[in-house]
Amino acid sequence: MQSFLKKARQSQFYGVALLILVTLIIWIIFWLLTNVINPGSFGQPDKMLTYLQRGLIYSVGACGFYFVVVQGLFDFSIGSMIILSELMSIAFIPQAGWFSVIVIPVLTGFVLGLVNGLVFKMLRIPSMIVTVGMSLIYEALSVWASGINGTTLQSEFSIFGSYPWNLVFALACFFVTGFIIKYTKIGTYSNAIGSNELTAKNMGVNVDKYKVIALTLTGTFCGAMAVLYLGYGTAQTPQTGMLSQSLNFLPLMGVFFGIAFKRYGHPIVAIVIGEFMVSMMLAGFIAIGVSTTVNQIVTGITVLLILALTTKRRNGAVVK
Amino acid sequence: MADKELLLHAEQIDKRFGPTHAVNHVTLDFYKGEVHCLIGENGSGKSTFTNMLTGILPIGSGTFTLEGKEIAPRNQIDANHHGISIVVQEQGTLDGLTVAENMFLGDEDQFMKNGIKNARAMVKKAQELLDSYGFNYIKASNPIENYTFEERKLIEIVKSTWFNPKILVVDETTTALSQDGRYELFKVINRVRDQGNCVIMIDHDMDIVMSMADEISILRDGNLVGTVQKDEVNVEKLKTLMVGREMNGKYYRTDWGASLAISMKNVSVPGQLDDVSLDLHKGEILGIGGLSECGMHEVGKALFGASYDRTGSVELADGTPINDINTAIDHSIAYTSKDRDNESLLINDSISDNISLPSLRDMGRVLSGRKIREFADKYAQEMSIKMVNTDQFVMALSGGNKQKVVLARWLGKQSNILLLDSPTRGIDIKVKSDIYNLLDDMRRQGKAILIISEEIAELIGMCDRILIMKDHKIEAELKRSEDLTDTEIIKYMI
Repeated sequence: MQSFLKKARQSQFYGVALLILVTLIIWIIFWLLTNVINPGSFGQPDKMLTYLQRGLIYSVGACGFYFVVVQGLFDFSIGSMIILSELMSIAFIPQAGWFSVIVIPVLTGFVLGLVNGLVFKMLRIPSMIVTVGMSLIYEALSVWASGINGTTLQSEFSIFGSYPWNLVFALACFFVTGFIIKYTKIGTYSNAIGSNELTAKNMGVNVDKYKVIALTLTGTFCGAMAVLYLGYGTAQTPQTGMLSQSLNFLPLMGVFFGIAFKRYGHPIVAIVIGEFMVSMMLAGFIAIGVSTTVNQIVTGITVLLILALTTKRRNGAVVK
Repeated sequence: MADKELLLHAEQIDKRFGPTHAVNHVTLDFYKGEVHCLIGENGSGKSTFTNMLTGILPIGSGTFTLEGKEIAPRNQIDANHHGISIVVQEQGTLDGLTVAENMFLGDEDQFMKNGIKNARAMVKKAQELLDSYGFNYIKASNPIENYTFEERKLIEIVKSTWFNPKILVVDETTTALSQDGRYELFKVINRVRDQGNCVIMIDHDMDIVMSMADEISILRDGNLVGTVQKDEVNVEKLKTLMVGREMNGKYYRTDWGASLAISMKNVSVPGQLDDVSLDLHKGEILGIGGLSECGMHEVGKALFGASYDRTGSVELADGTPINDINTAIDHSIAYTSKDRDNESLLINDSISDNISLPSLRDMGRVLSGRKIREFADKYAQEMSIKMVNTDQFVMALSGGNKQKVVLARWLGKQSNILLLDSPTRGIDIKVKSDIYNLLDDMRRQGKAILIISEEIAELIGMCDRILIMKDHKIEAELKRSEDLTDTEIIKYMI
């Protein structure tokens, strides 16, 4: 038995199996609780599909964010990029139709991410500071964009807000991310830069270039997330005064899972399961009548506990 | 030299770091089919010279001409493309990547087609190369973190030599390797030489230099002192050339103490130590030797309260248990790790901060910048650290001077029990001799010293007792004796 467990732990699927198991346990706990407190409010197949739908949306954003965090950078402009991408999508629908629903937000995200990257490279100040500054600019631009064609998506353009197109779109994004990580230099170099930037430089890695690429990818996937988010919500009001920051944190949750399970070789799968788990927990707490504030506290603690208990942590390893 | 074919000509190579003149207009020739050793004290400019050749540092001034063509590598991979590679002194592989990704980092283009990487082909080639070197127990597809420091060094050796470089630089690598690892490295060096290429080897171990070198160049304070053929010199002559005066290389002593300072009883650490017990006495130097993965490096950590999941007990003579680092430091115990840059030094901090760190708790609640500086200056001078001042960052120091900073820290703390893991790793014979003298003085003062070392000569020369470890256990205890030989010690190791 012991040797079986040892062998299982060495398998690259161990991390994924562990996450699925934890998800199942959480589902059982909430299902039992809601059966006592509020029967029928949690865990039925249609509700599970809703949790998955939300999880998919944030997972797409997390895909791009992953490259930035793995390199040791950070991006505080995610929320503002998503909102501006959504409003740009709405703005150009009268002229461009479906092109504006799918391509314009992704393109907007790409341009904003590229601008973040270039400003970061030019100014040579920490990415956190650069992206906070840029976030304020993007928030102001979102007010301008909302004036072009309003803030509501016509219902005939909201197909990415439900199955099956949301799933198709999200799977395409996951496939692209997985491909970039495994089959391009970007994945390898991002890990190398995050591990030791100076050594990576000595190996001929153009560190500045790959940091710009990481920030650009973050923007691009924020644009992709905007496609799903707008389809799901069908409206987006502009946010100012850093209020867009609240949108940063759910994609970040997924990134935590991706980074923690990177060693097992399946960061994207970990991101998706992690986001689904968080989405399910948030819904579960609502179902048992926990207030939003307590809900956030308990969800935060639970995520930290799950990551602490399920990831391979080496004694004495430096954790940054 | 007429029958030798010139491979590389270095002309007036020069490099400054601020006020430090690290390499001073050095002109040197390297020939095909030779091992050319560069020797000199720490800070003499050896690594700076080879770092410029291999693209790690930009060339200050001067030129390198390889087979008649001037070269100025921009980075290590560019140097590889010119046929030059290096095995660095410290860890040169990166966490977060697989073995195969590390081996081809920066050189993935051979596996790329239309921007897409053929990951399977990369792993396959990496595995073939590892197998061809006899390292088939290393799996190319595994994360590099799965392997030990020594195994990662072996991977670096494969990475640096598989493409048959014209010039291979081996920068103080032997100190990171056990006897087995050294054997593998020497095999590779001999192969490179036999293929008509050149190995530039930096090493402080004079026995290794004398056994491997064809030609030896000596650097002192950034200047080239001279180049000699191996047959023209002996070890003593080399030491004199290096230091500029005659050296006494005999470290052998004949007296030691007996009252207990610290003991460990039945200590086990999963995967590292298996039921190890030992006593360390005041006025004694106790040595621990063995092959790299025998568990000896964990002994220092266990005694310092730094081991994880430790069972068994570590106690001072008065019965005080040592279960954590703070208790250890509070009870005058010092520890230096083999992995100097990662575990002993604040590499991106000043010499002053590094020396004063454990002593800050003795300097009162409100710290005085002046007091800290005076403290650091005093012990930096006592250890003769080569520096501009104590505000200088440790990162810019040579290996030996870094080690002096570590020792100055514990000297300042006036520790009574010193646990020194590889205290002379990567250190030249002059500093080595200084450190031995310092340890001997400390021992005379009644301090208890534990030396964990892969250098057998050091164990024989310095220690009152030597414990040989094998498979995480103590295999043998050898008393100090003039008749003790390398062979006898190695017999217990393997």
